[in-house]
Amino acid sequence: MSPSSGALTRPEQDESSPAGHSRIRALVPLAGVAALLTAAWGIAAWVADALPGPTATVAQLWEMAADGRAGSILWRVAVFMGVSFAIAMVLGIAGGLAISMSRWADRGLSAYLAALQAMPTSMWIPVVAILLGTDVWSLGAVVTLGAVPAIMLGTRTAVRNVPPLLLRAGRTLGERGTSLVIRVVLPAALPGIMTGVELGWSIAFRSLVAGEIFSGALSGTGIGTVIARSRRTGDLTEMMATIVIVLVFSVVIDRWVFSRVQAHLRARRGLVDPGLPH
Amino acid sequence: MSASVRLEAITQSFARRGRRRAALSGVSLDIEAGEFVTVVGPSGCGKSTLLDLVAGHTRPQRGSVTVDGVAVSGPGPERMIVFQEHALFPWLSVQANVEFGLRSAGVDPASRAGTAHAWIARVGLADAAHLHPHELSGGMRQRAALARALALAPQVLLMDEPFSALDAPSRDRLHVELQDLWRETGTTIIFVTHNVREAVVLGDRVIVMSSGPGRIMGEVSVTLPRPRVVESGRVVDLAQQVRGLLDEADQMGIAAPREGQDGYVTI
Repeated sequence: MSPSSGALTRPEQDESSPAGHSRIRALVPLAGVAALLTAAWGIAAWVADALPGPTATVAQLWEMAADGRAGSILWRVAVFMGVSFAIAMVLGIAGGLAISMSRWADRGLSAYLAALQAMPTSMWIPVVAILLGTDVWSLGAVVTLGAVPAIMLGTRTAVRNVPPLLLRAGRTLGERGTSLVIRVVLPAALPGIMTGVELGWSIAFRSLVAGEIFSGALSGTGIGTVIARSRRTGDLTEMMATIVIVLVFSVVIDRWVFSRVQAHLRARRGLVDPGLPH
Repeated sequence: MSASVRLEAITQSFARRGRRRAALSGVSLDIEAGEFVTVVGPSGCGKSTLLDLVAGHTRPQRGSVTVDGVAVSGPGPERMIVFQEHALFPWLSVQANVEFGLRSAGVDPASRAGTAHAWIARVGLADAAHLHPHELSGGMRQRAALARALALAPQVLLMDEPFSALDAPSRDRLHVELQDLWRETGTTIIFVTHNVREAVVLGDRVIVMSSGPGRIMGEVSVTLPRPRVVESGRVVDLAQQVRGLLDEADQMGIAAPREGQDGYVTI
């Protein structure tokens, strides 16, 4: 099966076949690309002496898994991102709804939000570190605030794109005010809001690592300690292993959370082309 | 359950690209409780504006709209509107769509499900209750939209060209079913269309409108026995009469665009 045809038919298969058969088939392209990337990495490591190859990294990963360091990094990244991002989602979606309801607020805020979204959030790290101290949650604040503008703007755009006909239908059926927002505007805007959320997630992750680079143990996830150690010793094996851990974490979140939610939202709304034959 | 609708000397205009355009000019219309009135006219004659006014989505600039003697001040569950495009919520199943308005009205979950189920069955969608709108055909979507509106037992049912996007067989079937539903519920129906025969088939009275700005040209009362079908000879004859009124509007220099042009009237 070619990767492209797999990508086209996957959502339908997810829905129609209850067994894990299609799910495994959907993983084939993912595993294939992983193999290709590993091969490229091997060649790069063979050319560049300082870069540890896949074998050395896997050995290091094995060691880190055995002594609990890998699990600890994964666990702490998950908790840190989970908490910070949950707060960002609540603030971002609520804020986005608020600015889409008020023309005045939209005109006043949107330009600044767009600028904040484009600006590297890591610029706030020194400010926050001095104001709030080098505490775990001072980086949490940076990560949260980095994600909020993207989620707010995504929500605003999604709410603006809600078909007016659905709002009229909602009003005709007796909804207004807050309950119209909850029962019509939010569900209608959800696919668009999810796009903003995904963008916010990637910005949040960048902010996290930027914080780690800035100051060793700022977030307490352990990534900073690894960065500091690699810088000191010049040995990149542990660093590469940590990169692999973070990469796996990102892929898992993307595949098993964001893609799933998007596919589900789109399938329910009839936004997925079932493909031929009709 | 039905209510009378009274529009008095309505004048309405919109600003479009900085210029004011009159949509309705001095429109007065009296509709009795339980009457089935159809409004026919070319696109842009203000038919939809008329429904919006009764539904409470817009307010008249001049004139008044009353339902059972009470001035319309906003949307309300006693005045339901069925749109040209089904306007079903795409993230909800047919069942949940029909329950939507009942939930807004504060009906408890058990009787909500029962009422919705009964109406879904009544419009012939019992087997499709769990499907989402995108899984339905055009005709089924309009049936679901009709069930959603009727579930709230409206006193006035406003229909804005609801069947114009359907294929002819579905439309013919829905014509017959709508006449049955009207007889059963006794609700007042104002049905807007640009299809002259459809107007004659459905209405007790056909109101003929002209565009630029919209005004009432005249009306034709239809006393043929129900249910009527579009192929019936007497329907075709009456449709000619309605057509004649539209042509008169044309000769008076009021635009009733012809076939092939923007907003033409089909017969």
